[in-house]
Amino acid sequence: MKLLTKTTLYFIMIMLPVFAGGAFYLFHKFNREIKHETDEELANDQLQWLRYLDTASVDNPIFSFRTQEFQLIPTDQPVQKKFKLKGVTLYQETEDAQAPFRELSQVISIHGKHYQMILRKSLIEKDDLAKNIIYVMLLAFGGLLMFVILSNWFISRNVWRPFYRSLDKIRQLQLNKMETRRFPSTPTHEFNQLNEALNQMTDRIHQDYINMKELTEDAAHEMQTPLAIAQSKLELLLQDENLSENQLKNIGQTSEELQRLSRLNHNLLLLAKIENQQYPVTEQPDLHQVLVQYLSLFEELIREKELTVETDLAPTAPWPLHPALADILISNLLGNAIKYNYPEGLIHIRLTAKTFTISNTSNLPEIPAGNVFQRFRKSNLGYSNSNGLGLAIVKKIGDSYHIRISYQYLNGLHIFTASC
Amino acid sequence: MKVLIIEDEPSLRNSIREYLEHQGFICEVAADFREAIDKVTDYEYDCIVADIGLPFGNGLDVVRELKSLKSKAGIIIISAKDSLEDKLSGLELGADDYLTKPFHLSELNARINALLRRKNFDGNTSISFFEITVVPASKTVLVHDKSITLTGKEYQLLMYFIANQHRVVTKSALAGHLWGDAYDQAGSYDFIYTHIKNLRKKMMEAGGEDYIKTVYGTGYRFG
Repeated sequence: MKLLTKTTLYFIMIMLPVFAGGAFYLFHKFNREIKHETDEELANDQLQWLRYLDTASVDNPIFSFRTQEFQLIPTDQPVQKKFKLKGVTLYQETEDAQAPFRELSQVISIHGKHYQMILRKSLIEKDDLAKNIIYVMLLAFGGLLMFVILSNWFISRNVWRPFYRSLDKIRQLQLNKMETRRFPSTPTHEFNQLNEALNQMTDRIHQDYINMKELTEDAAHEMQTPLAIAQSKLELLLQDENLSENQLKNIGQTSEELQRLSRLNHNLLLLAKIENQQYPVTEQPDLHQVLVQYLSLFEELIREKELTVETDLAPTAPWPLHPALADILISNLLGNAIKYNYPEGLIHIRLTAKTFTISNTSNLPEIPAGNVFQRFRKSNLGYSNSNGLGLAIVKKIGDSYHIRISYQYLNGLHIFTASC
Repeated sequence: MKVLIIEDEPSLRNSIREYLEHQGFICEVAADFREAIDKVTDYEYDCIVADIGLPFGNGLDVVRELKSLKSKAGIIIISAKDSLEDKLSGLELGADDYLTKPFHLSELNARINALLRRKNFDGNTSISFFEITVVPASKTVLVHDKSITLTGKEYQLLMYFIANQHRVVTKSALAGHLWGDAYDQAGSYDFIYTHIKNLRKKMMEAGGEDYIKTVYGTGYRFG
């Protein structure tokens, strides 16, 4: 839920009962007030009536009077000193409905005779008034509520704008472009603090990243020299004619391992460079040409294993890649298809303008989906000349240059697809 | 043939020197930038092998200096830096070749030989090894003055062997020389054997002696 929606909802949740309670209270207050006023009027009327009855109709002492507003009925009940007030509802013939009245009743004595006097006042008009007032009040309250919510929304939106701007920036952060990202100062103190903290954080991360990058690059470069020395010493050692076969073999194997180490080093460095986007897309190399070139380069390997290569190639396929990466992409995938194939196996290559699919037979079982592109996740089934980075590099190229790399195992075929 | 080796690592410098001297080159060495500049300004060399990262300066500046001196020496840069940009900037300055560390000494030797052939004789010469004669300009190989037909790879193999006579060359060095970096993908170097076998067969059929000796578990020796 968005912050704005949340505050608005909370606001409504708090304001609604408050406003409803207020309206309820007002309604009752009005009702009471109206009753009170009516009662006063009735008392007033009663006084007038008593005064009138005391003086008038002296000659006609027994009489009875019956209207909805005024009743004077002879009675045997004892005289009451005080009048009684209550609310009643009476049937209105004209409207065919019950209507509320306030009623004042008292047993009085006129010239020695006892009468029940009832005075009534309709509450209908007054009720309407109350209703009207409450209606207006509710409207005003409702309007106020709406206004408050709206202004809260607008204010919040404005106040939170720097926050969302920072959020957007955070989302777009990339390790290698971090130093150019600044979180600007805002008019709000808290956001200033936040942005300042973010600036410090990105600076720190960027610095760490640069240090790390330099470390890996320097380490990789620095490692090449001792490797070169060791390699050259072994090569010189090989020239000694007094060496036994076994010694020669050992030196040869050491030399091989040294080269593996060097390739590993080289590939790790390559991964780091791809990750750092150090290979800009300057031109669009034709993947078709690259593929043909590598097919001829690997010709001996293919012939050695007596592999059948079926191709279905589009005449041109310019891909948005650095030429060096296009080479690596093709050579790694094609190299794998050859290396992990069995003798007299099959390789099928399909290239369109947007997709490159290579499938090969192999003795290897399906590679678990989670492992296939992971570093050093190599097969242990007798393919020692692998450093487990080939596919990781392919995947890294894909991730960094918006090329989708996928793996599938179907009918005994390992299928790798790259599509841009 | 005089070669100047500019390399600050003494071990590597000595290895290169030892290997090249055995192949018949006269080697001079320089351990830092100043020494290198002194040597290239004072003496003439046929070939200069220069490391980029040097104490007191940069190997690329040595290349610049050589160019300003209008030196005819062939230049091979050896560097731990292997990015395309590094290679291009080295070659743009006028270096003839670029080799990344670690490299095989036999590969460096083969490249120096190829470079010197191109530089000094414009390829218009032949190389002889007993009954074998190679004319690089036309890529023809004669055994007992009789021309034999070699495939591109077989020719390259022979040239590599001739450059590194009497030295053990490893299979991986051969693969690297013939197939470049992509040989990483090979999985095994067994396929080289086929080429060696064919080369050996063609030369023996022409009446040549078998100069290619298999060195157990490691590689081959020619001569």
